[in-house]
Amino acid sequence: MNCFSNFIYRASSPMIMADFIPVPEETSSFIDTIARNPLFAGLVIGILAAIVQLLLISAGGPEAYGFCVACHTRDLVNIGINDLTGMKLAAAPISQNAILPTLTIIGVLIGAFVSARYYEEFRTKAGTTVSYIWYLLGGILFMSFALFMGGCPYRMGLRIGYGDVVALIGVIAIIIGVVIGIKIATALAEREA
Amino acid sequence: MALAGILSKETAVIAVPIVTLLLGLLIGWLGQRSGFCSIGGFRDFIMFRHTRLLYGFLALILGAFIGFLIFKIVFPPAFEGFFWLISKGLAPVSGAPAGLTITGYIILALVGGIAVGLIGVLLGGCPLRQLVMTAEGNVKSFCFVIGMCIGSVVFTLWVSGLAVSILKSLGMGA
Repeated sequence: MNCFSNFIYRASSPMIMADFIPVPEETSSFIDTIARNPLFAGLVIGILAAIVQLLLISAGGPEAYGFCVACHTRDLVNIGINDLTGMKLAAAPISQNAILPTLTIIGVLIGAFVSARYYEEFRTKAGTTVSYIWYLLGGILFMSFALFMGGCPYRMGLRIGYGDVVALIGVIAIIIGVVIGIKIATALAEREA
Repeated sequence: MALAGILSKETAVIAVPIVTLLLGLLIGWLGQRSGFCSIGGFRDFIMFRHTRLLYGFLALILGAFIGFLIFKIVFPPAFEGFFWLISKGLAPVSGAPAGLTITGYIILALVGGIAVGLIGVLLGGCPLRQLVMTAEGNVKSFCFVIGMCIGSVVFTLWVSGLAVSILKSLGMGA
């Protein structure tokens, strides 16, 4: 059954030959070499978030809110549902006041997709049905706990830059969680081996 | 507290979707090229002492600090709260569920942070990495993103109120 759905999925995918395209040789441009460095990406994201606040803070909304995957997804989904059903789900003031909520998530998806296609790194990777359910549940839990903190790790980073001590505690807690997660993953791997 | 950016309120209200969409496009490109991931950075450093991704996250904090500092000097009204610890003390920047004491926010940050780190490591990435992997064609990450969308509704409708009422019953309401 799984093989069948896998086959259907691949057959409907436009990049059916994706697995057979070889990785291109190292002929990368200067810009691409820089963009491949996470150090540069981090600096740019941080400064861009400050520019976004400089431009948009008049529309309302919390400070240090330039970039956040969890919060911006929450704004987009909740305001979309509010518009469709007339409910009153909470969102950040910046998204409530604006004509459309923050579209960062859609931008990230389009940008990464175009980039992956351009550099021929697009590969459809299917998993098992059980793994899909785990990822779905993981997403629901992740979102809830991220919004407990008031944002995903990226907004925590922005808030630390803004001088927020609670965000620093949040990042320390994330590191503790990572250590526990590594312990669990190692134990699971040893039990399977 | 009236924060004012460079754009007037009428312009900013229209500019929000445009600016954030452009920001997202740029970050999507950078994220796809560099494999940028915060939780992955902590994981790689703890497991293998690889510093590549960890420096990325530290650079984000540094870049945000430099950006806030420069633009605070250039245009102060947009960054009234900066530097938060000096101007507002220990209370967090708004965004988490409202109406708690500082102890309550610290408990929320600890519980939320540990769970976020745990889930992130077990499922192989922080939310930005999951978005980028979705765009690269990973169906599991796509399920994660759908889960995040469901989770935002679940959180707003039930979890947020539940957590706040539990913390308030423990005497942490402001």
